[in-house]
Amino acid sequence: MALVQTEDLTKVYGKGDTAVVALERVTMSVEKGEFVAVMGPSGCGKSTLLHLIAGLDRPTEGRVLLDGEDLNRLSDDALTALRRRRIGLVFQFFNLIPVLTALENVALPLLLDGVRPQDARRQAVEWLTRLGLADRLHYRPDQLSGGQQQRVAIARALVAEPDLVLADEPTGNLDSRAGDEIAALLRRIASDWGRTVLLVSHDPRIAAHADRILFLKDGRIVDQARLSGAARQGEAEALHERMQAL
Amino acid sequence: MRVFFALALRYLRGRKLRTVLTTLAIVFGVAVLFGMNSLLPTLLRAFRQSMLAATGKAELVFSSVTEGPFPAERLEAVKRIDGVAEVAGSLWHNVVLPASFPEASAVNALTLVGVEPEVVQRIRQLPVREGRFLSPQDRYAAVVPRSLSEKLGLTIGSTLTLPSAAGTADFRIVGILELSPLPGTEEVYVPLAAAQKVLDLPGQITLIEGVLKPGADRARVEEAALSVLGKGFQAQPPEMGGELLASLRLGEIAFALFGVMALAIGAFIILNTFRTVVVERRHDLGMLRAIGASRRAVAGLILTESLLQGALGTGLGLLGGYGLAWLMLALVAPTMRQFMHIESGSPVVTLPNLITAVVLGMGATLAGGLLPAISAARVAPLEALRPVIAGAYERAARRRGVIGAVLLALAFLSLPAGQFPLAALGTLLFVVGLVLVAPVLVAPLARLFGRIFSALLGREGRLAERNLARQPNRAAVTASAIMIGLAMIVALAGMISSIYDGFMGYIDRSLHTDLLIMPSSLVLGGGNVGAGAEFAQAIREVPGVAGVTTLRLGTAALGNNRLQVVGIDPETYPRLSGLVFSSGEPEEAFAALARERALIVNGIFSAQHRVRVGSILTLLTPEGERAYRVVGVGSDYLNAKLATVYLSQANLQQDFHQTSDLLVLIDVEDRADGSAVREQIEEIVRRYPAFTLLDWGVFRASQEQAFRRSVSLLWVIMLMFALPSLLAMVNTLTINVMERTREIGVLRAVGSTRRQVRRIIRLESLLLSALGTGFGILAGLWLSYFLVTGMNVSGFRTPYYFPYAGLLVAIAVGLLLGVTAAVLPARRAARLDIVSALRYE
Repeated sequence: MALVQTEDLTKVYGKGDTAVVALERVTMSVEKGEFVAVMGPSGCGKSTLLHLIAGLDRPTEGRVLLDGEDLNRLSDDALTALRRRRIGLVFQFFNLIPVLTALENVALPLLLDGVRPQDARRQAVEWLTRLGLADRLHYRPDQLSGGQQQRVAIARALVAEPDLVLADEPTGNLDSRAGDEIAALLRRIASDWGRTVLLVSHDPRIAAHADRILFLKDGRIVDQARLSGAARQGEAEALHERMQAL
Repeated sequence: MRVFFALALRYLRGRKLRTVLTTLAIVFGVAVLFGMNSLLPTLLRAFRQSMLAATGKAELVFSSVTEGPFPAERLEAVKRIDGVAEVAGSLWHNVVLPASFPEASAVNALTLVGVEPEVVQRIRQLPVREGRFLSPQDRYAAVVPRSLSEKLGLTIGSTLTLPSAAGTADFRIVGILELSPLPGTEEVYVPLAAAQKVLDLPGQITLIEGVLKPGADRARVEEAALSVLGKGFQAQPPEMGGELLASLRLGEIAFALFGVMALAIGAFIILNTFRTVVVERRHDLGMLRAIGASRRAVAGLILTESLLQGALGTGLGLLGGYGLAWLMLALVAPTMRQFMHIESGSPVVTLPNLITAVVLGMGATLAGGLLPAISAARVAPLEALRPVIAGAYERAARRRGVIGAVLLALAFLSLPAGQFPLAALGTLLFVVGLVLVAPVLVAPLARLFGRIFSALLGREGRLAERNLARQPNRAAVTASAIMIGLAMIVALAGMISSIYDGFMGYIDRSLHTDLLIMPSSLVLGGGNVGAGAEFAQAIREVPGVAGVTTLRLGTAALGNNRLQVVGIDPETYPRLSGLVFSSGEPEEAFAALARERALIVNGIFSAQHRVRVGSILTLLTPEGERAYRVVGVGSDYLNAKLATVYLSQANLQQDFHQTSDLLVLIDVEDRADGSAVREQIEEIVRRYPAFTLLDWGVFRASQEQAFRRSVSLLWVIMLMFALPSLLAMVNTLTINVMERTREIGVLRAVGSTRRQVRRIIRLESLLLSALGTGFGILAGLWLSYFLVTGMNVSGFRTPYYFPYAGLLVAIAVGLLLGVTAAVLPARRAARLDIVSALRYE
């Protein structure tokens, strides 16, 4: 059953002559537990798609269904609560609060949701440990490497046990080794912990970890590919060629 | 929410310098407000307590409502009332010692108390320490408190000389009392008859004191006594030292005003700081929204942060205020002990005072934090993912500017009306309008001033100007904060110069005779001992004297208010001197004074009581109620500040029993030899040491000097007004530097020298202060005009004078602000490490 479903999703920025169509009638779906990557050149509308699914922005036309629920019908407060409980977000620039430690950053969504501080802390420690940061709990973001910061951000995205994890170019700001680590981590999130993952990236090596790839160009889905476990590492080159062809 | 509390605390700790600067403004305002409010009640309390102790054993105390003298026969009626065991009459009068008296160096005023020796000891407690108390046989004998005897070196048998209506009077000291209970002045007890003679008040007393028979009902006796005494008498002990109390209260108001103003500037600083905080942290705020923080939670975060600072600032302000009060008390305590016998104790912290300071301190922070919090809540979650776009900011500013311009126009319309409430409204509109218009004006004004600067310092000048215009709101809020401080300076200066000219005008018109014979205290009711009629008569007989006129003084009551009554000679007074009339025909008015029970009222009185020519006033005199007709409104120099009425000396004698002269004005014949005449008058005055002979020119110069001296303190206060403005500027400049850290890094990287960077910041500072000074001068001129209008309406007639001095001071202070505020931020900017500045986020 599909966790995420979009129907004729359209987003237009601006009005009249200066109007820019970022997304045009995109209809797609992501199954529960699936790891889907959206690829495309910059400006193709990948991030816009992600923002609409996350409820960060409202579509001009069409709708997003999350577990059958129409996001258009939710108030700002309801969307906020939805992001807090059911969606985990990972950004390119980590977006950690600079004055809080790793542990506090991870515990933040739970605290925002009114979870008791000691429970929030316990869960945060659990996730940070799972992501190999047990020895960095009390470090501030500026004391961590880029890869470590992104792992903290991923722990923050997972701590509220969301159904859906949305990642917007999560490796865009990392060197290739750290990027590979993060991509592998996203793979585990889907396979080992049963979350649904939607990744936006223009890097074929990262996208190659997904189960399925959607190719986006000029706001429209132009192609898709399904990858099988064993063949993945060899697919990167082929994906790269397909990207070039878009 | 605890998480936000922790988060707010972290953010504050992350920007220590800014936190300190922002908090300091609140600390300052709260400290002044709280400190002064804890100090002044302490003084008032100490003052009242020692006053209450003064009534001693007397259970019953009656005085005239006017606290003036009344015939001693009134005593007899009280004596006959059932339940009264004993009554005694006494005569109390404040006596200022002339500077020529040797005693005056140690004590400048004392209270002469005439008592009936045989009964007073049974009514009041006056423990004798040495010698004996007065006996019925004593004529010019006195007992004095120990403190006075020590100050003047008096022992049993020595002589105390006091000014008297006949010149001087010598009293032999027969006893020394344990202590003097009354604050302010030392009491000298003498036989009643001697006091009456010294004060030229034969048969008069000012106080009836008594004790009750055991078991008598005090309230009933009091009621009966008041009914036999008739209207115009009161049962409470008279409140002495009313003038001192009044000036303490005035001080309280002035400092409260200053504290509130400092807090208003504090609110501006908070507003500015948090507005920057919100822009700077758009990223974090957007991210918080993205991961599920509601709008309310984000607004709450900013408010929590500002309230934390408010709480910190208020807390420190309370401590600082208490310290301030304690320090000032320690400074004045020796004086109070020596001159007033008051032990002042420690500052009083009352709950209402504490609550006021906390509410105002927190309120200012909340007011400053509210707008930024609201705009923080509006930050969209997507802003965490996108670069910041400066958008609708400008449109909102323009809309506010239009509203501001409309308010300004309305304010100008209210100007010619000349009515006080309308002018007050106009002032409010003007200031609000100016604050609203300010952001729109920043860019063009910065360009104007910038052109001047860039003519001097090409490149840096232009950069500084652009930097200011880039954040017009922040520049405007800072300029507004400077405006408040400088406007107060200009307004005060305007008021002072108008008062100065007003007063000098009064001197020139109402006291302009060749020679003046002044009493010890220039305020007529300030405890002067008058001279009998023979004094003025002797001067009149000096050959070469063209004319002599005198002023006499009484006290009346109108309703519950005391009123100063000045007796003039309607025939000679207008010839030699005169009043500055604002209503009524002078000639007719003086003629009416001679003819009937008529009054000329002064401006303050007519404003306070809404009295016009033709009104009938019922004055309560020692003789009962008397109806007087108002025939004119006019003021003189001496009484310009006090509600006063003028009547004929004949009426003063008949209704108020006052016949002694307090001030003598003399004109010398043109052909006479001035110095010879003066010498002869000098001879007469020498016999009356309470008086001083002065040339008009000397007198005027001394008044001018005294005025200047008292004003110099005001200038100090004015400069204090500039302090919060300085904080506001340092704060804004520091924010500007921090925000542009990366930019400064780029400037340095492409080859700007440290000096150039420093110069840019300095120029920005100068531009900011130039803006603020401009606004401040505008608002200050308006305010000063408004204040002078207010004075005119309340009866002190004075023309409006343009405060040139205030303008110069404001410009000087503004320039000083511009230079000093830049010191720290400029150094900070110049010292930035290029590499880390480029990496700064």
